[in-house]
Amino acid sequence: MTERAPEKVVVIDDDATMRLSCRKILAKMGLQAETFEDGARGLDGVATAKPAMVIVDLKMPGISGMEVISRVHEIDPHIVIVVITGYATIDTAVEAVRCGAYDFLPKPFSPDELRLIVNRGLERRRLAMESQQYEIERTLLKRRFVTFVSHQLRTPLAAIYQYLDVLKHLEGEDDVMRLRRREWLDHCLTRIQELQNLISDWLTLAQVEGGTLSKERIKVDLNCVISDTLKAYEQTASAQSVSLTAQLPDNCLFVWGDRNCLNVLFDNLITNAIKYNKPGGTVTVSGSEARGEVVITVADSGVGIPEKYRPFLFEEFFRVKDDSVKKTAGTGLGLHISKRIVSEMGGSIHVDSEVGVGSTFYVCLPAWRELVGATEGQNDAGREANIDCR
Amino acid sequence: MRDEKRILIVDDDHDFVEAISCFLELNGFSVLRAHNGAEGIRLAKTKQPDLILMDIMMNERTEGFFTIHEIRRDPALKSVPIFVLSSFCTRLPDFEIPSSGGWLSHDMFFTKPVDTVQLLEKIRQRVGIAV
Repeated sequence: MTERAPEKVVVIDDDATMRLSCRKILAKMGLQAETFEDGARGLDGVATAKPAMVIVDLKMPGISGMEVISRVHEIDPHIVIVVITGYATIDTAVEAVRCGAYDFLPKPFSPDELRLIVNRGLERRRLAMESQQYEIERTLLKRRFVTFVSHQLRTPLAAIYQYLDVLKHLEGEDDVMRLRRREWLDHCLTRIQELQNLISDWLTLAQVEGGTLSKERIKVDLNCVISDTLKAYEQTASAQSVSLTAQLPDNCLFVWGDRNCLNVLFDNLITNAIKYNKPGGTVTVSGSEARGEVVITVADSGVGIPEKYRPFLFEEFFRVKDDSVKKTAGTGLGLHISKRIVSEMGGSIHVDSEVGVGSTFYVCLPAWRELVGATEGQNDAGREANIDCR
Repeated sequence: MRDEKRILIVDDDHDFVEAISCFLELNGFSVLRAHNGAEGIRLAKTKQPDLILMDIMMNERTEGFFTIHEIRRDPALKSVPIFVLSSFCTRLPDFEIPSSGGWLSHDMFFTKPVDTVQLLEKIRQRVGIAV
């Protein structure tokens, strides 16, 4: 969120001059400051004001500053606490930090020092709150998977319904109206396509998870799979002025796996590389074999994936939310399915990316060998992947 | 006093926003469109809408909850009517929406898709336009 109500800061200090100057400085910083002269009143104030930060003098009559710290964190563990203290009590201040205070400010301090520490503390809190919020939401969504899926299905349906419901009332035969009706019908068709993609991706996922997508283990030449997939997307790519290149070795790249699954896997990776590319961009698929492992890289020169999203990239229904890709259609399932497929085959997948430069996906799969003794291990890997799903 | 009542719609689904906005405009409202929470908060604060239509799941998170919370924290927007429009079904126990007076403090909940005519009627009632 870029805009928010002014953050509240509670100052607890028995020194009236200190309270006044803190209040002035904080107000100038655009913060809402409330001051209290002792611990008891201060704690009441914290309970009602629910501030983002508490600045507390350690040495006060009545409840000690140290006790204030722990009581404030009982009220809300996310409140950032800064202690102010005279030079003589630096040890106590260090102790306070150990008790959960964020930092301390030795007296006397300049307005700049106060501003610095307040800004730093608030920034840290914002980051902590944001990541916590994000975690909570992700856990919530995981637990409520069915609710979430039905929401995903209902969203395009709602848009289609809403268009049609309003279309009933769109009278008038002028060009504007005619154009609008036409546009809306096109939008409806796009959303229906979205719904179809979602259902088919979801089905694929269910098949991968349930093991009903054929689980044969045969010798598959990835050279063929990749060349076929690239050929299939030549037109789509050139429509977006993206060029496709294969850098595959002359000899075959054999893996021991399921042909259908491998098709789905490279289909996903290559379509993503085209979708999230830029006009004039490239997609390069290379392959090599070393030490019993086949490594395929799918590199694009597209928009890239910001680092903060990368840990979530392979999770079901996760989609990067930045403006650069917001309008790109997708179900949020492709990479999740890809990861499941790779795990089922005992391999691994990871990504390297730079924003604005492009992304490279690495797929490592066990190479096919004349005598395969690793089959059992691969199945184990598959089972493990099933367990971590939900 | 403005002649036209101003409605803010906050929803990340551009198609949904387009359909509802168009319908409201045809019925004499002025509509402000926001496609995420931050934009919604900014428009709410700067344009002081007469009523807000709010989606909950935006950009793959429950951004609407936070957005309503932030809007309500502004004293000037404490009592602006907020209608929640969401594809979450209210009946599902695991997504219980706290009703009016709770921290979320919204006025009405609609499950998407909504009956557009009924929505219009409720909006009119709430902003004080005689039907």
